[in-house]
Amino acid sequence: MKKNCLFSNFIAIFIPLIFIISCSKDTSEVIDYNGKFKNISGGNLINAMAGEPSNLIAMIAGDSASSAIAGNIFNSLLKYDENLNYAPDLAESWQISNDQKTISFKLKKGLQWADGKPLTSADVLFTWKLITNPNTRTPYASDYQLVKKASTPDSLTFKVTYESSYAPALDTWTSLHILPKHILKDEDINNTFFSRKPTGSSFYKLDEWISGQQVTLKANDKSVLGVPLINKLISRIIPDTSSQFLELTADNIDVMNINPIQYQRVFPARKDLRQKIALYKELGNGYTYLGFNLKKTPFNDIRVRQALNYAIDKDEVIKGVLLGLGEPISSPYKPGTRWNNPNLSPYPYKPSKALVLLQEAGFKKNDAGILMKNGKPLKFEIITNQNKQREMTAVVIQKRLQEIGVEVSIRVIEWASFVNRFIKTGDFDVVVLGWSLSLDPDQYNIWHSSQQGPGQFNFLGYSNKNVDKLLELGRKELNVSKREKIYHEFSKYLLEDSPIIYLYAGYALSAVHKRVKGVKNPAPPAGIYHNNYDWFVPKPLRRSEISAR
Amino acid sequence: MLIGISLVSFFIMHLAPGDVTSSEASFNPKASEESRQKLRELYNLDKPVIIQYGLWVKRIAQLDFGNSFASHQKPVLWERTDKSGNVTKGLIQESLPITLMINLLGICIIFSISIFLGTLSAVRQNTWVDRSITLFVFIGFAIPGFWLALLLMYWTGVSNQWLPISGLHSLGYQNLSGFGQFIDLLKHLVLPVSISSLSGLAGISLYVRNGMLDILHQDFITTARSKGLKESKVVFIHALKNAILPLITIIGLSIPGLIGGSVIAESIFAIPGMGKLFYDSVLMRDFPVIMGILTIGSFLTLIGNLLADVGYAWADPRVRKGLVK
Amino acid sequence: MNIFLKNPLALSGLIIILTILILALIAPIIAPYDPSFIDINSILFPPSINHLMGTDGLGRDVFSRMLYGAQISLLVGFVAVGIASLIGVILGSLAGFYRGWVDSLIMRFVDIMLSIPTFFLILAIIAFLTPSIWNIMIVIGLTSWMGVTRLVRAEFFSLRQREYVLAAETMGSNHFSIIVKHLLPNSLTPIIVSSVLGIASAVLVESGLSFLGLGVQAPTASWGNILTDGKEYIQFAWWLSLFPGLAILITVLGYNLLGEGLRDVLDPKNKD
Repeated sequence: MKKNCLFSNFIAIFIPLIFIISCSKDTSEVIDYNGKFKNISGGNLINAMAGEPSNLIAMIAGDSASSAIAGNIFNSLLKYDENLNYAPDLAESWQISNDQKTISFKLKKGLQWADGKPLTSADVLFTWKLITNPNTRTPYASDYQLVKKASTPDSLTFKVTYESSYAPALDTWTSLHILPKHILKDEDINNTFFSRKPTGSSFYKLDEWISGQQVTLKANDKSVLGVPLINKLISRIIPDTSSQFLELTADNIDVMNINPIQYQRVFPARKDLRQKIALYKELGNGYTYLGFNLKKTPFNDIRVRQALNYAIDKDEVIKGVLLGLGEPISSPYKPGTRWNNPNLSPYPYKPSKALVLLQEAGFKKNDAGILMKNGKPLKFEIITNQNKQREMTAVVIQKRLQEIGVEVSIRVIEWASFVNRFIKTGDFDVVVLGWSLSLDPDQYNIWHSSQQGPGQFNFLGYSNKNVDKLLELGRKELNVSKREKIYHEFSKYLLEDSPIIYLYAGYALSAVHKRVKGVKNPAPPAGIYHNNYDWFVPKPLRRSEISAR
Repeated sequence: MLIGISLVSFFIMHLAPGDVTSSEASFNPKASEESRQKLRELYNLDKPVIIQYGLWVKRIAQLDFGNSFASHQKPVLWERTDKSGNVTKGLIQESLPITLMINLLGICIIFSISIFLGTLSAVRQNTWVDRSITLFVFIGFAIPGFWLALLLMYWTGVSNQWLPISGLHSLGYQNLSGFGQFIDLLKHLVLPVSISSLSGLAGISLYVRNGMLDILHQDFITTARSKGLKESKVVFIHALKNAILPLITIIGLSIPGLIGGSVIAESIFAIPGMGKLFYDSVLMRDFPVIMGILTIGSFLTLIGNLLADVGYAWADPRVRKGLVK
Repeated sequence: MNIFLKNPLALSGLIIILTILILALIAPIIAPYDPSFIDINSILFPPSINHLMGTDGLGRDVFSRMLYGAQISLLVGFVAVGIASLIGVILGSLAGFYRGWVDSLIMRFVDIMLSIPTFFLILAIIAFLTPSIWNIMIVIGLTSWMGVTRLVRAEFFSLRQREYVLAAETMGSNHFSIIVKHLLPNSLTPIIVSSVLGIASAVLVESGLSFLGLGVQAPTASWGNILTDGKEYIQFAWWLSLFPGLAILITVLGYNLLGEGLRDVLDPKNKD
């Protein structure tokens, strides 16, 4: 009797569990999302983000949530168009002087802020003064401090003069959000209500911000760039990605970033999801690499670095970690852009060649199959931060290197400790990390030999005189095709020296509910969000506000 | 005690590597080390720990909890109004009520169910009822909370759409009537509150059960029974009253948990409570917020303990009449 | 042993624990695959004859990982509780034996530790110890000794006035031998019970830490991190979360039933 009841209790608990898992019945009636629809304005778009924006003044905030939202509220002087060329934003045109040191921007006519006040070159000058003011708590000032003189000859012209020609200059003016002088002139920018109640000039303005829950933007009818079709952009803050995905499948959010397994496995297996959610992929702006501490033996030996490069199967990493949703790379630039040198190709997977190179470097296999030099095994630790893909990458690499007799251990560390204990102090062997890059090819901060101080970004300790020279040249050269040559050559040196092993550039994967129309497919180089002000939700497909959960 | 806690946590915090300038977002070649150094100076992070602690104590003495680093000068504790009348709410001011609401609801449910189950268990000691209850509460304790949460979210939110999945409000809840908003909130709270209650059942119900067993064997119960009182009256009036008395102390002791919140539940259900706030602050090394939460937390804990003592004294006739010290 | 037979729940707890212990110990013998063997051609296979519990995101065999994960999860439990009990017994004995200012000092310290959220302490300690399985154990141990301290102290308070203790004291035995010979053996019951329950909590704490990314780190498998990996795919690769979830549930349940059963059996109040 007693035993029996014990058993029935177990049953009582587990049956529902199994039921919960196995039951995936589709209760919603089938709506056809594929018809032709008119693009009438209205409706709303809900997306999910993991963290709350910290501050809508982008020069002070550093987090991606903040820049994503602020980007819908503020304009810069310039922007990138869908093919990643410079395009007018607030500025209608721009001119570079013959000595390449002065740029003058001509603003569009009749610009105004969301509160109806005119937007003039005085606002631009104010913003520049703000970011270069030493009391402003911004980490991004250095690019703008290169401007020697800034002036406003008239209310539509803004003119900056650099000490010497600075090639990335235009790029820096695509990311500086212009702020309203009339509101901020008496405010302390570090501590102002404006950071949570901004007034901008772009397509949207802030409607409501419920702390920790959601940020709602609504169409800015004063926007001179036009009024967007979707009336409200709602960003819900959902920290856990599993919860985000549940919300997506329950129709409660329209847009989210997904991972390769969801893209390659979950969606193909679930017809009900494919019927209502469209998937998009685009190459992201970053890449993942394995970097050596070049100040340590044996990584100061180029043969060891090249050998390890031959010993790692990048295709396997891409297949295993990204389920094929990534591209192998051979230069630190996005494949398909002009800065990427098409003549370079990644180190192929050739373990035999790796062993030859290691033997040249003095390593011999002992009886246990471990590579030894001077009585010491070839042994190192890969460190990485808490990032699932990087962890998995390290695991796959570990397996391949063990096959040729290299002992590898892995350590995963929380970010702040990772940077401060290991990166800043140089106390590491090998890292698996990623760089996300801006669209300008300048990588002086990462690769120039002068950038090795604590806290600077050449923490691997790379120095190559030729590379230094090229990087210095590239910063000054404004002629695009000359610049292209410089960076192609730079990439060649970098590949040969192999201070890092390029692992992959992953695809950014997005799921967008099919009720949202106007998304470009395939994604243009600038990504699907590029034209989000052209997106619309046809009236029959809109969720009724109150029944939506 | 307050000083002890603040001292311990201040040093633990500063021994941990990193500060607010080393977040993942700032690991960006566009952000220069010089400007990060500048930030450190502005926040006094370049000073020795002991001086930073001194500065902090000085501010706290004036009840100034300071501003958060990471959320850019949001006040830690309470709202601030600037000269033109714009109000910026405090971080704790926003999170604490949410966490308190969930945990108070949770504790009410835990106590009512536990008292019921515990009593039932004790009355039916060593029968199958007793054993099933024990098994049930232990399963509730043993199941990993986030796993159960996700299963239930899937079951009630995706495949059946009975309950909302995450968050605290529906879209457009502003358009609802006051009562509608209340129902909407309750619906959002069903899952988080029941998940957090489930794990708490085991402790309290066993406590009630064992307390009841003790009391049921005591003389005054035997006396009551021998007077011919109905068994139900004996159990529910005489014994239960005495068995739940010690629970008052437990409530007092559970105050830190009440205001602490749970990082895991709050992340899964997207609830902006104290647990999540604290966890994010630790990852961001947002020192003023960490210190603020710990200080407020221990302050409320002290008050809680005091209230528990007073409550116990008030409820226990022996103490009330000064018979027991 | 017959005491267990009287209490079917405690008995089933014991059986569960023994089974899992044995499985963990013979893991290298019965595991069909190397738990870290990656096969990118068999990613996320559902359970089958070849892979009893399916495969994970890197094509590793979940059954083998579960078996090796059992070793880690149980080890974490045992060592963490060992550390916690050791600290708890020492501090509790000191507080309970000497009372006075020693007692108030230790109890204040206990209060302080109790009001600082555990995960904060864990995070801080992990941040400046280098993360490894051993450090996870040390950290869980260092943050869970407060209960044992209180228990031992209370037990000592009541034992301290017993005649045989007083007698030993008047006969000039030194304090250390009184504590070790007379007081500790008589307070063993609650310590054992709380240790068994402590192991249960440690297993749960490890899975919670894994959720936050602070638990046992890859590539080592633990039930907590297998479950955390699986939570993303609860609707699709259900085997990734079901098996570790059930394993944790059953193990923690087993320890609890055993602990509670021991308490009932060893507690004189329940003798009649």
